[in-house]
Amino acid sequence: MIANSFEYSAPGSLKEALALVADGAKPLAGGMSLIPMMKLRLANPEHLVDIGRLAELNYIREENGSIHIGASVTHYDIETSPLLMGKCPLLAETASYIGDIQVRNRGTLGGSVAHADPSADYPAALQALEAQIVLTSAEETRTISAEEFFVDTFTTALEEGEIVTEIIVPIDAGLTGTSYQKFLQPASGFAIVGVAARVRQAEGKFSMVRVGVTGLSGNSYRATRVEAALDGKDANDENIRAAAALVASGQDSSSDLHASAEYRAHLAVAYAARALRSALSRSA
Amino acid sequence: MKVAGTAQLPFPPERAYDLMQDPAALQKAIPGCNSLERTGDDEYKLSLKMVLASLSGQFEGKVLLTDHNRPYSFKMLVEGSGKIGFVKGEGVLSLMLLDGGTEVAYEGEAQIGGSIASVGQRLIDTTSKLLVKRFFKKLAKIGSGETDAAEDEA
Amino acid sequence: MATTVTKLEKLVGKRVRRREDPRLITGTAMYVEDVKLPDLHHAAIFRSPHGAANIRSIDVSKALALPGVVAVYTGKDILGVGSVVCAADLPGLRKPVHHILAQDRVYFVGHAVAVVIAKDRYIAADGADLIEVDWAPTQAVTDPEKALAAGAPAVHPEWPDNTAFVFDQKGGDYAAAAASAEVVLRQRIISQRLVPNAMETRGVVADWKAADRSLTVWTSTQIPHLARSILAGQLGLDENRVRVIAPEVGGGFGSKLNVYPEEALMGFVSMKLNKPVKWIESRRENFQTTIHGRGHVDYLEIAANRDGTILGLKLKLIQDLGAYHQLLTPAIPTLSVLMMPGLYKFRNIEAQVIGVFTNAVPTDAYRGAGRPEATHGIERMVDILAAELKMDPAELRYKNFAGKDDFPFLTATGLTYDSGDYAATLDVALEKIDYKGLRKEQAKARAEGRYMGIGISTYGELCAFGPSPATPAGGWESATVKVEPSGKVTVMTGCSPHGQGQETSFAQIAADELGVPIDDILVLHGDTAIVQYGIGTFGSRNTAVGGAALHYALQDIRDKAKKFGAKMLDADAETVILEDGHCTDPKTGNSVTFQQIAAAAYRGNIIPTGSEPGLVATRFWEPSNFAYPYGAHIIVSEVDPETGQITIKRYMAVDDIGNIINPLLVDGQLHGGVAQGLGQALWEHGVYDDNGQLVTGEFMDYTMPRARMMPWVESAHTITPSPVNPLGAKGVGEAGTIGSTPAMVNSVVDALSPLGVRHIDMPMTSEKIWKLIHGSKA
Repeated sequence: MIANSFEYSAPGSLKEALALVADGAKPLAGGMSLIPMMKLRLANPEHLVDIGRLAELNYIREENGSIHIGASVTHYDIETSPLLMGKCPLLAETASYIGDIQVRNRGTLGGSVAHADPSADYPAALQALEAQIVLTSAEETRTISAEEFFVDTFTTALEEGEIVTEIIVPIDAGLTGTSYQKFLQPASGFAIVGVAARVRQAEGKFSMVRVGVTGLSGNSYRATRVEAALDGKDANDENIRAAAALVASGQDSSSDLHASAEYRAHLAVAYAARALRSALSRSA
Repeated sequence: MKVAGTAQLPFPPERAYDLMQDPAALQKAIPGCNSLERTGDDEYKLSLKMVLASLSGQFEGKVLLTDHNRPYSFKMLVEGSGKIGFVKGEGVLSLMLLDGGTEVAYEGEAQIGGSIASVGQRLIDTTSKLLVKRFFKKLAKIGSGETDAAEDEA
Repeated sequence: MATTVTKLEKLVGKRVRRREDPRLITGTAMYVEDVKLPDLHHAAIFRSPHGAANIRSIDVSKALALPGVVAVYTGKDILGVGSVVCAADLPGLRKPVHHILAQDRVYFVGHAVAVVIAKDRYIAADGADLIEVDWAPTQAVTDPEKALAAGAPAVHPEWPDNTAFVFDQKGGDYAAAAASAEVVLRQRIISQRLVPNAMETRGVVADWKAADRSLTVWTSTQIPHLARSILAGQLGLDENRVRVIAPEVGGGFGSKLNVYPEEALMGFVSMKLNKPVKWIESRRENFQTTIHGRGHVDYLEIAANRDGTILGLKLKLIQDLGAYHQLLTPAIPTLSVLMMPGLYKFRNIEAQVIGVFTNAVPTDAYRGAGRPEATHGIERMVDILAAELKMDPAELRYKNFAGKDDFPFLTATGLTYDSGDYAATLDVALEKIDYKGLRKEQAKARAEGRYMGIGISTYGELCAFGPSPATPAGGWESATVKVEPSGKVTVMTGCSPHGQGQETSFAQIAADELGVPIDDILVLHGDTAIVQYGIGTFGSRNTAVGGAALHYALQDIRDKAKKFGAKMLDADAETVILEDGHCTDPKTGNSVTFQQIAAAAYRGNIIPTGSEPGLVATRFWEPSNFAYPYGAHIIVSEVDPETGQITIKRYMAVDDIGNIINPLLVDGQLHGGVAQGLGQALWEHGVYDDNGQLVTGEFMDYTMPRARMMPWVESAHTITPSPVNPLGAKGVGEAGTIGSTPAMVNSVVDALSPLGVRHIDMPMTSEKIWKLIHGSKA
């Protein structure tokens, strides 16, 4: 469990960090995924650039009706942020489900997002929140949606030389309720399935439904069929159940030691219903 | 571990079949493949660098194509090993004409050993699916004439 | 010299805080990894990635060429070193020779092939990465039942049937009992492979001093003295010139009741290079190369009458041994046979154990070692019988318990249970948890479509190992009590605690006996140069055997102190009283303190007739029998039919472990044991695939129980002292592990019994439960 030798840089500014990344250095944030892989010598980067210590990327602030979160904010800081708990509780709740306290103390939002583990928790919430992800390279900064960002298993829209610098989540007004429900793999704490629901109701009907799913297949996704099935419908359990049944359709359910494809798909349905029910109960 | 699935190629089975017997096309389509050298009848020496998320590893091995039944089916055996582990897969690929294109159905068994087996169980299914997807996506491009030496899907 | 004697508080039986904890909490404890020596070299071991393969060639040239690499050794270099020792023996036992480095083939993933020695551990690891082996993989076999099938790959080519031994035991006449029985029920029950996962992995530092022909070995072990004897033999050294030190040991659970290849390997390397050398096991190596536990497939058959009288039990036990024998590997399943009758008085048993080689790391003693499997078997069969007879499982148990007047109770397997009142303990558990109320609540839950279960396990175990004739090495234990001239007391125990807290409990015993403050007592262990020969720590023996040896050594000290005290008081040694740290002449009321006596004993001015200076005593104590703790564990659970998830609602543990020295330590042992037992019931599983890959080889896939997964354990005790030892203690190190597992499975089976579920194999994962529910509805 000893990594190969590597060069390590901890630059003082984002600009310097980006220059090193442009030269091929691998960004290191909290190290919760990368370091274990390095210790097992499954990952052997020659040069690490530590962006987890950049104060420039460590903020949570409200701006123009959204919340902007720097990439190096830890899961723990997200979980306990009064701003997020008050105005975007879905992200705080989701962070509280990640790994264990040690992981949450070290791991960062940007690191997790850039890694795009198919069982990570954040992608479900970011999909449901229609979050924006800010990507920065030495040359430019661009902002894309979570849906565009998460391309496939461990595959994102990040181009070479780019890093995730900020995540922007909306502040929901009115009768909006959110919930993240997770069936965790007991060994690793990763999601076997995780479903984030975000609903708004008006006069007893669903006026907005967003559902993000992680863990079921190789990539997180928005369960648009579930959303469509509920849009404008009476906000009741029967409708939720019927809509949740659509959550796995069109998905290639994954299978491993801990859950067969069949069980995963079943859990996705069960947890979609739970998340929707819980979100609905919080929306009143 | 069972490996099974389907993939679509936007050209007829004959073309799909020939491409999958063509070392130059295979080399381009196999994710991370640096070289694929013919060493005998239907036998090729394979060298690839697998890069996936932060994982990376060099694999050396061979590919064996047998049981030719153009353009319907053939058997493929792939073996590779490197510092991070070893992989051995064997399966049958069946080709079917579908809407003017080809549907490839693959079904086989894969054995995975070494470090990657002892640490990556939860990801083997999703990542193998990803690699297969990349392979066929690339093959579709090659077969459609969208050559792409500059693109690197790895 | 008349004095006012202050009564000292008696400490035995009190919740005295662990004296070990300050150094553990402050990070100042010294583990093997903390051993730093001048010019210390570091080893990394290159291991097989294959479950079975022949080695065509090994190329170490690139490793040797790496700057900083000092040496590389492979199988051909170590032929002069003795192979791994198995102390167990059975008639006809086949013992493969397991060299400390592989020869021409490997037979499990993790098999050590080469060792790289370098100036630092980073270079050593880089060097190991540069070793190239030309492998010729062969087909592995990892399932013991598949290994027994005709045509299976042979783990050892010389034994194509993969059978290491067949062991039969009979008591009474099972066949006749079954023929006369009104009910005969059969069940296949799996006790899956578990990975012990001590918090501290193994580690060895070896330091050879050529000039003295002496070797010092620091190793994370439960048995420093046995390790010394074995190492001396393997390396051809004089036993008295080998010093083994078990420094702080961060848990073992039986996995360090062993002498592994790496201990002799580091000794060999140090002797070759004339340098101290260190090897620290990585977590992955720990998963792959430190012994596993359990690994049974049991075919059980129970014979009974319709009134609930159990007539007999038959067992065919297929033991997955792994690829070779570690210290006790083949002996472990024989303990399962011994304990198969549980707490019940039936007289007829028939057992056959088939020990099977597989391409996997050996199984060996893991917390409970054979008894959890036995208890799981009998306690599941009793529940299966109760379901068949539509009897309450508690009632069925009461009906078949050995009665409190039956002790000493001779079991169907020939053991003599020392003491007990099983019904009384179950009474307490049922009452405390309100069993009748729970059954009513369950009926209501079922009417609502909820799956609530109540699972009982009344376990028994044999521990306090044990009489020497019944153990592979000696079963006695030793203690030395050394009173210094100042009256401070050093206790040296031959058992070598690895986290259980004997530095506290033994100090309590000594403080009470000698009437000195506990802070005056130092307990030493785990260093063969300091401590007299001892056996070690395993089988819940420290208190009942090591504590008994200490008790007798303390009596010797007391006797001698009284002689000195009497001489000092000019009184009669037969009538003086030694109490509360004072020796008092009852006739005059005059007294001297224990400290004054110690000073006098070393000053040497006055020596009682027939005595001698000094105040030191050593005793070796041989128990006449094992001790047999028992208890009743009850678990209330509920199953979520939508997901198959199991929730533990209540956990009641009533244990009878004899007299209790320190209830705080007892609680800790029980809680930890329960966690491990629930781990087996619900989550843990060492899974090898058909090619010999350990696919649960990291904590990412092997589910270790976490604090957040644990229920609140409600605990109580009944106390039936053991007559076997003077402390009346039985042993608690393994009780929790043994009692919890069947209680958990019985609870979930009970929850699902409306669906016709009779048995569930472990681990009871959510998916397994979901499929059971789902399948039964379909």
